[in-house]
Amino acid sequence: MHAAQKLWVRTCKKTLRSRSEAAMSHALDKAGRWIGWAFFADLANGLALTFGYMFSKPVTMQYPDKEKWLPYSRYRGHHFLKRDAEGEIKCVACELCARICPCDCIEVVPYEDEKGNRRPAKFEIDTARCLFCGLCEDACPADAIALGQQYEFSSFSSRDLVIGRDDLLAKPGKAMTGGVVAARLKTERDVLVEASEPRGYNWWRNIRRK
Amino acid sequence: MELVVALGLIVFKVALLIAILLLLPLPLTWLERKIAGHMQQRMGPMRVGWHGLLQPVADGIKLLTKEDHIPAEADRFLFKLAPILALAPPFVVFAAIPFGETVSVLGNEITLYISNLNVALLFVFAVIGLEVYGVIFGGWAANSKYAVLGSLRTCAQMISYEIPMGFAVIGVVMLAQSMSLLDIVRAQSDVWNVVYQPIGFFVFFVAGLAEAQRIPFDLAEAEGDLGAGFHTEYSGIRFALFMVSEYVVMVLVSVLTVILFFGGWNGVLIPLPPLLWFLLKVAFFIYLFIWFRFTFPRYRYDQLMAIGWKVLLPLSLANIIISGVVFS
Repeated sequence: MHAAQKLWVRTCKKTLRSRSEAAMSHALDKAGRWIGWAFFADLANGLALTFGYMFSKPVTMQYPDKEKWLPYSRYRGHHFLKRDAEGEIKCVACELCARICPCDCIEVVPYEDEKGNRRPAKFEIDTARCLFCGLCEDACPADAIALGQQYEFSSFSSRDLVIGRDDLLAKPGKAMTGGVVAARLKTERDVLVEASEPRGYNWWRNIRRK
Repeated sequence: MELVVALGLIVFKVALLIAILLLLPLPLTWLERKIAGHMQQRMGPMRVGWHGLLQPVADGIKLLTKEDHIPAEADRFLFKLAPILALAPPFVVFAAIPFGETVSVLGNEITLYISNLNVALLFVFAVIGLEVYGVIFGGWAANSKYAVLGSLRTCAQMISYEIPMGFAVIGVVMLAQSMSLLDIVRAQSDVWNVVYQPIGFFVFFVAGLAEAQRIPFDLAEAEGDLGAGFHTEYSGIRFALFMVSEYVVMVLVSVLTVILFFGGWNGVLIPLPPLLWFLLKVAFFIYLFIWFRFTFPRYRYDQLMAIGWKVLLPLSLANIIISGVVFS
């Protein structure tokens, strides 16, 4: 027999087999439905599902005392002011951020320093009113203000949430590949800060899907 | 002297059993919350003790120190009586339940049961039927609409499911030719009853689920539509008594299922101590209860009644006839 002939025969056999199998499986399906109904196949399915989930990894993150995570670098958290290469404050006190701020929470008072540059004498952000839209970062012509990844802000007094120029300068910057963001909250020493992944914590990783 | 020793032994056994049964809800609530958590991809209690092991103790302290509130319009006597009425019958039933034949402690043979009643099965069903009084009184005395509705439902449910439950065990009694639980277990030393009585087991277990008021038959306290059913108005220690009784009934139904249908302390294949076999089987059924709870939704009330009267009752009657024809 030629090779082509062999192939033909094999294909024919395959088709026939699959057709008869389809008819068989249809009949089996019908019978199976009834048998399943009588023996509670649907309930058994449900039980199997929950049993499977029982051995899956929980998605719970034990925040804040056991685990913490570093958000993506695009996250809009705490504000901070940047310095240039000479260590001078970058801000030119143009007040564009204060203008664009939708909740009017930035207050800038300019002054002229000894080199004759316009700099902020006062730069206050009321984070109690801030809605963390990041428009100040977008509006800034001098690339002086940005929003980082720190998100633990809670305070008992709203006065503590007004942050001045020097505090803003002292804040940590954006962690590009997942540096540790200093947490303001008092935490235990063995708190795990999830920073091993360069792109932040993947919430979907632990969720089992079919 | 003989009498004093025998009496002392019985008192000791009773005290031990009561202590175990009263403390059993602690690990069971922990287990239930842990299993629930993991089935829902949560962790369950984690903060109190290692993996939340002390959580039930914390809950117990909370319940004990809480205000024991009685509604102004409540019937105070019945309100106080109801938790005790709900708690006592499941404890009494355990007096008739054997946990094994004998163990030898310091050369003395000690039986692993408090009494070997020759009508133990009848006793069990008679006493467990009394539990419904606690539920009725609790719901009625609170003078609250949710409580009354819950207790009405529970009454109807428990009465309807006790009938098929009682019929389901007749096949077992026929096989063992005895109503003594000890004899029933002894009769299963070769083949477990579940092989001869699969329908009986099914009916008994489903009715047991309803009797213990567990999902999918927890109509009594359907929190979605009734607040908490008959114990809506209870708080503090009285609420805790209802919870304890609920867990004890759950254990009781598991124990009865094992004794009646799964060979009690008779083991298969692996030679383990009989008591260990017994406890393992009971633990499996308790797990099954918890597993069911976090898998199935609750039945509607009319469905519940339809299952009880139109499915379980005919099935249990058919089981009696079939057993009678086959094993006579």
